Amino acid sequence: MRKKINGMVVLALMVTAGCSSEKAATTASESADKAVAPLVASSPTPAPLIPKAPAPILSPITAPTPTGYGFDQWQRGSLGDVFFDFDRSSLRADDQERLKQNAAWLASNTGKRALIEGHCDSRGTSEYNLALGERRASSAKEYLVRLGVAPTRLETVSFGEERPFDTGQGEAAWAKNRRAHFIVK
Amino acid sequence: MTLLCNGFQILTIGRIDMQCFSRTVSSIFITLICLTTFSWRAAAQENGEYIAIRKEGSGNIALVLNKLDARGQGNAGAQRLDTIIRDGLDFTGIFSLISPPLNIKNNSDGEHAVINFGVLDSVAAEVYAGGTLTTKSTTLNLDMEVYDVSGAKLLFKKTYRGKDPRALGYAFCADLVEFLTGKRSIFGSKIVFISTKTGYKEIYECDFDGRGVEQLTSSHSITLTPALSPDGRYLAYTDFISGAPVLSIRNLLDKKTVAVARSGVGIDPGWRSSSEVATTLSFEGDQEIYLIKTNGVISSRLTNSPGIDISPTFSPDGSQMAYVSARNGQPQIFIQDMHSGQARRLTFSGNYNTQPSWSPAENKIAFTMWENGGELNIFVINVDGSGLVKLTGNSGNNESPSWSPDGQMIVFASSRQGQKRLYTMNVTGKNQKQLLSMEGEQMQPFWSLFRK
Repeated sequence: MRKKINGMVVLALMVTAGCSSEKAATTASESADKAVAPLVASSPTPAPLIPKAPAPILSPITAPTPTGYGFDQWQRGSLGDVFFDFDRSSLRADDQERLKQNAAWLASNTGKRALIEGHCDSRGTSEYNLALGERRASSAKEYLVRLGVAPTRLETVSFGEERPFDTGQGEAAWAKNRRAHFIVK
Repeated sequence: MTLLCNGFQILTIGRIDMQCFSRTVSSIFITLICLTTFSWRAAAQENGEYIAIRKEGSGNIALVLNKLDARGQGNAGAQRLDTIIRDGLDFTGIFSLISPPLNIKNNSDGEHAVINFGVLDSVAAEVYAGGTLTTKSTTLNLDMEVYDVSGAKLLFKKTYRGKDPRALGYAFCADLVEFLTGKRSIFGSKIVFISTKTGYKEIYECDFDGRGVEQLTSSHSITLTPALSPDGRYLAYTDFISGAPVLSIRNLLDKKTVAVARSGVGIDPGWRSSSEVATTLSFEGDQEIYLIKTNGVISSRLTNSPGIDISPTFSPDGSQMAYVSARNGQPQIFIQDMHSGQARRLTFSGNYNTQPSWSPAENKIAFTMWENGGELNIFVINVDGSGLVKLTGNSGNNESPSWSPDGQMIVFASSRQGQKRLYTMNVTGKNQKQLLSMEGEQMQPFWSLFRK
């Protein structure tokens, strides 16, 4: 069973690697762009388009790729992630710009809903990060609601430090992990 | 042994509360062994006060543990049980084990032997323990006697019967430690923890010494922060089975689990008593600490401050709660009186203090400090804010402290070997050693208060 899930995750990663390169240009931050590069490079052929099979909600912890959980098999639509300063859940100016774009997309795609995942880097302690992750997701949600998105279309969840976007150490990796990650439903 | 002869003084160990002791024993809800004789209790009451010769400053009890006499089927079982008892007593760190001198008994042919207290006294032993193991098919019968050497007095005598030598040996160790210290021992206590062995974070349980690892959850999700109720009946933890971090309370007897399914999070439970657990919920907006009954029903809200409030841990009488609050911006440990609701800040050193754990034996709190953005280390502080002591250092990240039931040891997670593993140490930070080896990473250990 576990092997099967692993296989699905790897497959999903390979499949989305090809498509995410173009999305990255418009939706992901510069740092996220870098993260996606090796994935693209490692795909020997353009990934075929296959139906978007629902990915498992949770992948095994042992990340199948060097980039870890992230950019990613769940980046379905046009909603970009927002990134945070260390131990902060307040929105930076660039975050607010991205959230305005997200709000505009949601306004023109009224049938869509979004799940906002709050994430943290691996530093500090796990319990605190689980709380901090929720505050990051909530910050993003509240801003979208102020921009007119119906709160019923936005769900939040915290993963704390449990699902890093980049499993590396150092500020470059940590900065990518301190984020609110959007998944279009 | 000559070293031990220096600096002795007579100390009086306080009156042992035998009522409390026997209550502890009789309230154990899972009985592993049969207790057949209770002459030890009579002996203890007779003694009233047990006087021991203690080495000044060491606090260690000088013990001669004689080799068990074997009756019935062979010697191997006795030797094995002998090692189990010896290793168990050594693990506690409160004994100086003295090799049994020759001629302990003046007549070596068995039942009518008389203990030679003179020779025991000459090697500076304070306490002598010995006994016999009788094996009948698969049933073991362990008869143990414990003597005060200086007074040549029987302290207690007890028979342990069962099939599992480790359970028998540890039951004797538990009685010995509790008799001599008057405190609840670690024997029979359990440690629950998280391991990534399967690729998922799941809860595991092991004995206090790291043996007998068992997997308790198969959530195939993320499972975090296990905490056992004081009576060992309930296990509270957070998992992501629903897709979000939700608090679950599992009844370990009937295996039924209730999820406290509210919107938002359920983070890091801490038991106030065996019927009430506190955890952080955010269904009302801000993250606050709530008291929850074992059926999952919320009984009250405990905190009311903007910002993160997490990781409740209670004084042994349940009248005070320590927890982490980021009400001033960064996480610090606070103590709140449960009756008045008044809270005061406990930690002022460091900018990031989390994971408090209230000692079951003393007015001390262990916690994790993130030092200047560097490594995580474990500290202990008095409940009044004095006496801050650093217990770990220069050994990777050290976190998630949890006290042993006797308050003499702390189990924690450390990345000193790269991956996170579990370690134990004593309350001064000495004697740091790895608890167990298993695949994956191990973290978030929690030491039970009860013993089986």
